[in-house]
Amino acid sequence: MNVTNDTVLKGIRVLDFTRVLSGPYTTRFFGDLGAEVIKIQSRKTAKGVESSGSAYFRTWNRNKKSITLNMDYPEAREVVLRLVRLCDLVVENFSPRVMVNWGLTYEKLAEVKPDIILLSMSAMGETGPWRDYVGYGQTFQALSGMTYMTSWNEDFPTGLGQAYADVISGLYGVIAVLVALEYRDRQGSGQHIDLSQFEAMCSLMGPALLDVCANQRNLFPKGNSAESEPAVPYGCYPCFGKDRWCVIAVYNEAQWQTLCRILGDPPWVKEERFSKSSSRKQHEEELNRLIGQWTATRAPEEIVRLLQQSGVPAGVVQNAHDLANDPQLITRESFVKLEHPLKGTIVADNLAFKSDCRFSNQWRPAPFVGEDNRYVFGELLGFDESRFSDYVNKGIIG
Amino acid sequence: MKAQGKREYALQGVGVLDLAGEQGGFSSRLLADMGARVIKVEKPGGDQSREIGPFWGDSPDPEKSLFDYFNSANKLGITLDLQNKEGRRIFLELVQRNDIIIESYPPGYLNGSGLGLEVLREKNPSIVVVSITGFGQGGPRKDCLTCDLVASALGGQMFICGQPEKPPIKPFGHQSYYAASLFATVAALIGLREKKGTRKNLSFDVSLQEAVAATLEHVMVRYFNEKTVAQREGGLHWDRGFCLLPCCDGFILLSLFQQWPTLVEWMAGENMAEDLVEKKWDDEEYRREHINHVIEVIGRWTKTHSKQDLFAMGQSLRFPWAPVRAPEDVLHCPQLEARGYFVDVEHHENGGTLRYPGLPFKSGMPVPKKWKPPPKVGEHNHKVYHEELGIPLPELERLHSLSVI
Repeated sequence: MNVTNDTVLKGIRVLDFTRVLSGPYTTRFFGDLGAEVIKIQSRKTAKGVESSGSAYFRTWNRNKKSITLNMDYPEAREVVLRLVRLCDLVVENFSPRVMVNWGLTYEKLAEVKPDIILLSMSAMGETGPWRDYVGYGQTFQALSGMTYMTSWNEDFPTGLGQAYADVISGLYGVIAVLVALEYRDRQGSGQHIDLSQFEAMCSLMGPALLDVCANQRNLFPKGNSAESEPAVPYGCYPCFGKDRWCVIAVYNEAQWQTLCRILGDPPWVKEERFSKSSSRKQHEEELNRLIGQWTATRAPEEIVRLLQQSGVPAGVVQNAHDLANDPQLITRESFVKLEHPLKGTIVADNLAFKSDCRFSNQWRPAPFVGEDNRYVFGELLGFDESRFSDYVNKGIIG
Repeated sequence: MKAQGKREYALQGVGVLDLAGEQGGFSSRLLADMGARVIKVEKPGGDQSREIGPFWGDSPDPEKSLFDYFNSANKLGITLDLQNKEGRRIFLELVQRNDIIIESYPPGYLNGSGLGLEVLREKNPSIVVVSITGFGQGGPRKDCLTCDLVASALGGQMFICGQPEKPPIKPFGHQSYYAASLFATVAALIGLREKKGTRKNLSFDVSLQEAVAATLEHVMVRYFNEKTVAQREGGLHWDRGFCLLPCCDGFILLSLFQQWPTLVEWMAGENMAEDLVEKKWDDEEYRREHINHVIEVIGRWTKTHSKQDLFAMGQSLRFPWAPVRAPEDVLHCPQLEARGYFVDVEHHENGGTLRYPGLPFKSGMPVPKKWKPPPKVGEHNHKVYHEELGIPLPELERLHSLSVI
C-alpha cells in the first residue's frame, strides 16, 4: 500500500454525533480515508460501549477526534452551528426527533453552510408510520426476514450470531456520502441523506423478495441446504476435534468424482440413488450423513487441503482464533495494530480491501473523551482561555 | 427516463463495465441505481450467475433467474468472448470509453488473457479497476476455490450462527457476495474521486473472505481484547441483550435489559411477572447471572400475546423489539410501503411486474425513478457495438457467427 500524507479524503471535515456501531462504522471509514472526524460526546453519555475504556469503542472510533458538549445547553447548539460552518459532512444515527429537538434540522445546518451534507441513519427512516421506532442490528435482521430464513426450520428461528445489519448500514452510509460528495463537486449542492437501517437490511434479501413476488409463495428456512445453488452435496460437516467443522460444495460431475475418490470410493457412492446430481439432491440428507461419517474422523484443515488441491470448493468453519491466525488474512493485513497510550497494542479490522490508493499512514487509536477539546475550541473556533474555562465550568463543554 | 434540465442523476456520466458475475454483480447495480451507465459484459451464451435460483416459474431458465435479476436491473447487457483476440480488441475500446471496471475473474486470469492492468491502463490511464475474488490477488490461498458457503465459513460468519449443539448455519442468501459487493462499491467510488484528482493506476483488491470477516461486529473485538472465542448461542445474543422468544403466533425479538422496570410493570399488570417483581432482579448483573430464569418467565408471558401486539406496544414504549418476519411480510410492510421503498419493474416478456427492493436511503440527489428490467443475454449488443462503437452490421454478424459476441 502506497502510504502518504496526501489521502483520499484529505480536507474533508466530519462532525460526528453517532453512537454504538452503525454510525461509528461509517465515520471510522472516513477517518481511515484521511478525513478529519470530530466526534461529539459528553461525559454524561460516554458510558458503556461509548466510553474510552470499552474495547468496542476503541475498535470503532480510531482515527477520530473527540470533543465534549452537553447538548442540553443552548450554547452547545450554537457551538455545533459554528462547527458546521467548518465542516463538509454531519453524521448522526439518533431517532429522527433528536436533532429536531435540538433545533439542528438540515434546513438550519444549511443556513450556516449551504452545501453541508447531513447523513441521518435512523432505524426506520425519517418518514412513515414507524419513523419513531427504535432498533439495533438484531431488530432489523428480525424485521427483514433474515433471522427467519437463517434457521433449520420455521418452528425454531435462529438468526445470525452478530449485529450484521450495523455494518451493512454503515457501508451504505459510506456509499451514500461518497456519492453526495461527488454530486456536490459537480453541482455545488449539499444534501440531506435519510438512510433507513431497516431498509439497508431488506436490500440484501433481494432474490428472496423477488421470489415471493414472482412466484406468489411463502418461503421457509432450510438451514444449509443449497437454497438456490446448483450444488450437491453442499453443506457443513463435523470434523475431528471439539466443535470443528468444514464446508464442502460440489457443483459438477467432475467435482463429485473427485470427492468420491478422496472419500476412498466407498461402496455407497456407487449406489443408484447417488448416481446423478438430481437423485443426489433427492437423497441429500442421507448423502450428508455418509460424508459426515468420513469427515468426523479427520481434521478440517486436512480435509479442506485434500479437496482444494483437487479442485473441490471447501473451507474450514473458522472461529475467532482461526481468523486471527489465518495466514491469508495475515498476509493481506486484514487486521491492523495501533498503539494506545493506556491499553497498549490494539488490534482491529483494517480497511477491507487493498489498493495502491492514498491511505494515511498516520492512523491514531480511538480518542479519550474530550481529548481534542483544546484543538477544536481553541484552534478551530478561536475560543480564548477565559471563554474556554467558562464553558467548562458551566458544564457546556463537559 | 432522461434527466430533466440541469438536474442530473447523482452519478450521471459515470461509465461502468461489469464483469463481476454472481460475486460482485450487486456492486455495479447500486451504481446504476444512482444513475451510472453500467454495461454488463457476459461471455457468449450468458454468465453462470444465470444458473442460480430462485427462478421465475421455478424452471431453471437463464432468462428467469431472480438471483441474476436482482443483480442486473438497470444495466445494459452485452456478450463478448475475452479469450478471443477480436473480442479483446473490442473490449479495449470499451475500456477507453468507461471509467470503472468491476471484475471477479480468478487472480491472474485477465493478465493471462492479455488484459492485465498495464494493457488496460495503456488504453485508459485513469481507468479504475475493482477486482473481487475469493481471497484476494495475493497470499497463500489466492488460488483456492470459493463460493458463498466457503466464504461464509472461512470468513467467520458460520461458526457463530446456529444452536450450540447443532452444526453451524450459513447466513441466508449469498451474504458474502453482497458484503463484498458493498465494499467494492465503496472502492469504486473512492476510485472515481481519486481519478478526478488526476490520479492514475487505480486498482482495488476485494476478497470475499475478508469482506465477511469485516462484518463480524463483536467477534474479533472480543477475541483481540479478551481472548474470548465467540460461540454459537442460538437466538440469544452474546451479550444477553436480545433474545428470540415464542409468541402465540410466532416469535419476537426482545431486549432483556433495557427499561427493566417498565417491562416488569407491564408483565405484572397482566399477572405474569412471577418472581421478577422481587427487588433482587433490579440488579442487572444478577439478571445476567440468572438469565435462563429471566428468559423462562418472560417467555411464558410473550406466549400469551401475538408478535404484532408485542411489537406495536413495545415500540410505543421505545423497546427495540421486532417480530420475526418471513420475506412475504416484508413485501407487504406498511413502513416500506409508506416510504416508497420498493420499485416496480415491468417485465414485458413474462407479462408481469416485479417489486425490487430499492435504495435504502432518500436524498435530494436525483436518481432514476423508473428502473430498467435486467437485460437478456446479449440484449444490447446492437446498441453498444453498432450504435456506439460503430461496428458495421456485416462485421457484427461475422463476429456473432464466430461466437465472439
